[in-house]
Amino acid sequence: MAMTAATAEPVSADRPARKMADKTLWLLAPGVIWMVLFLVVPILMMVYVSFWTQTTFAITPTLTIKSWVTFFSSDTYLSALWTTIRIWLIVLAATLIIGYPAALFVGLFVRNKTLQTVLLVLCVIPFWTSFLIRVLAWRPMLGKEGAINLILQGVGLINKPIEVLLFSELSVIIGMTQIYCVFMVGPIAFMMGRIDQSVIEAAQDLGAGFWRIFRTIILPLSMPGVVVGAIFVSVMVLGEFATSAALSGRKVNLLGNIIVTQVGSLKWAFAAVAGVVLTILMGIVVAALLRVVDLRKEL
Amino acid sequence: MAAVLQLSQVTKAYGALRALDGIDISLPDNAYISLLGPSGSGKTILLRVIAGFETPDSGSVLFKGERVEAVPPHRRNIGFVFQNFALFPHLSVAKNIAFGLENRELNPITDSTVVRARVKDIVALVGLTGLEDRGVTQISGGQRQRVALARTLITEPSLVLLDEPLGALDANLRTRMRAELRTIRERCGVTFLHVTGSETEALAMGDAVLVLDRGRIAQADDADTVYNQPRSASVARFLNCYNLFEGQLSNDEFVTSVGKFPLQGQKADARGQPAYAIRYDRISVRPLASPVTAEEVRLEGTFIADEYSGAAINSFFSLDDGRVIEVESHLSQAAPQTCVPHSRYALVWKRQNALVYA
Repeated sequence: MAMTAATAEPVSADRPARKMADKTLWLLAPGVIWMVLFLVVPILMMVYVSFWTQTTFAITPTLTIKSWVTFFSSDTYLSALWTTIRIWLIVLAATLIIGYPAALFVGLFVRNKTLQTVLLVLCVIPFWTSFLIRVLAWRPMLGKEGAINLILQGVGLINKPIEVLLFSELSVIIGMTQIYCVFMVGPIAFMMGRIDQSVIEAAQDLGAGFWRIFRTIILPLSMPGVVVGAIFVSVMVLGEFATSAALSGRKVNLLGNIIVTQVGSLKWAFAAVAGVVLTILMGIVVAALLRVVDLRKEL
Repeated sequence: MAAVLQLSQVTKAYGALRALDGIDISLPDNAYISLLGPSGSGKTILLRVIAGFETPDSGSVLFKGERVEAVPPHRRNIGFVFQNFALFPHLSVAKNIAFGLENRELNPITDSTVVRARVKDIVALVGLTGLEDRGVTQISGGQRQRVALARTLITEPSLVLLDEPLGALDANLRTRMRAELRTIRERCGVTFLHVTGSETEALAMGDAVLVLDRGRIAQADDADTVYNQPRSASVARFLNCYNLFEGQLSNDEFVTSVGKFPLQGQKADARGQPAYAIRYDRISVRPLASPVTAEEVRLEGTFIADEYSGAAINSFFSLDDGRVIEVESHLSQAAPQTCVPHSRYALVWKRQNALVYA
């Protein structure tokens, strides 16, 4: 009897709250509808199309795995997959190596909040120009007769231009690192800024030197920022095609470039296969990164 | 008693502001010292100079007989308990406590069994047994305070600086932690320098009380002396239990805007601004007509309101120039005069109970 009384009470008190919760769910409706229409349905469509029958001039909705077999037995596609993974890893490492110290400086050593904001805004300045201009600006910089080669020759460090600077994998990596570095700096600097100065002073007071404090306090506390930054950079680099198209002189083919070419020649099924592969790859990368740190706990 | 810490003529300025203006202190070994200062008196900066987070502009800091101004904080072995505790948010209670032992630059302990044993001892000392594996965000404020203390004590510093250690706790817990801090200190046998803005805390905790006023040590005495004989008008003001009158000394009288107080040979302390101080509980309230003896000083005031605090009643009277004076009547003594608002009363005190600064 006592138990029924005890349970009956909260239910009746609970009801208005639950009704409220039912109503608030409607707030999600526009977002959910949008995502279903323009994300979930297209992805399912892409998976479906990847099993269609592709002939030179037409595509028919007869299911086959021919496109998949072609993709995984072709050196061109597999090497594009491998190039994509390689460039992604190199760019990820480069943005981390360049971005982390910068974020450490901005987030932790610049005590003045205004100056901190100014420095972060400076990082974003390249985004005030269009993507194409940013990428193309590398050409006069890296080219055979570009600024870097001219300066190095002028100083006398080299006597003939370094040709590998432009239209190579290196130029793609340089270009991507420059563009995506800020996406690494931002989240890390944000996490650094949240580290209480007195926590570091406490570690110092307990006798730890700088590197110890870095390893035991700063690095673990900034890991969520690293993971978020890495997710940003990874998703963007894996889906890249424009930088490689503009800076590699068609020598570097990423999965993104394959998709563009296939779509251009109306090979929808192949493009869909490459798209599915790319989506799965991104999914794996993001899932793996999220396992490094429990973001829900940290943020 | 050997001095564990000696500061002489330590100054530190921020622009035009002299945050520390020639500090001289000497802290004995194995003692509880409280440092009382209002906000802005430079008490946190003083602690930071001692711990090594700030470098003094001039003067010397001697720790166990050696000059340490140029020694970085992590090589000083002076403990610092932060006001907000500054626990490592990503580490468990036990890991927080073990941090100093495992990560210090000077002879770190790498043997995990030794670390575990030491952590176990200190956890028992501060009363945290059973919470070792909790995250520091999953424990209460008082427990966090204990973790902060344990984390510092485990490194066996000769001096522990506590920056308003009870400030972040609620009133109930604060009183309990007071007693506990003292017991823990006695068991460790180290010197605690406890900084606080609360005069009751400073008087209750310290074997000796240092009073900091605008970057200078205004008084360094035992609690009883500080309370009964503040050395200057500003110290009296911090104690929050003195009515202060500004004025001038002239012809054996102290002349203020509310009247002349006869001194009759009472000596004035010559420190800082001239003032006449009378403690709240030294004043008695009488009807206007009642007579006064030659020993007594009399002032008239209008009763405004009173405040009941259990053991005492604090009454407020406004004087003719608008200033408010406070009278504290202890209820354990005779039942105090019941006052009617807006009526005038005589406020009377014995001449020798007043403190005169000129």
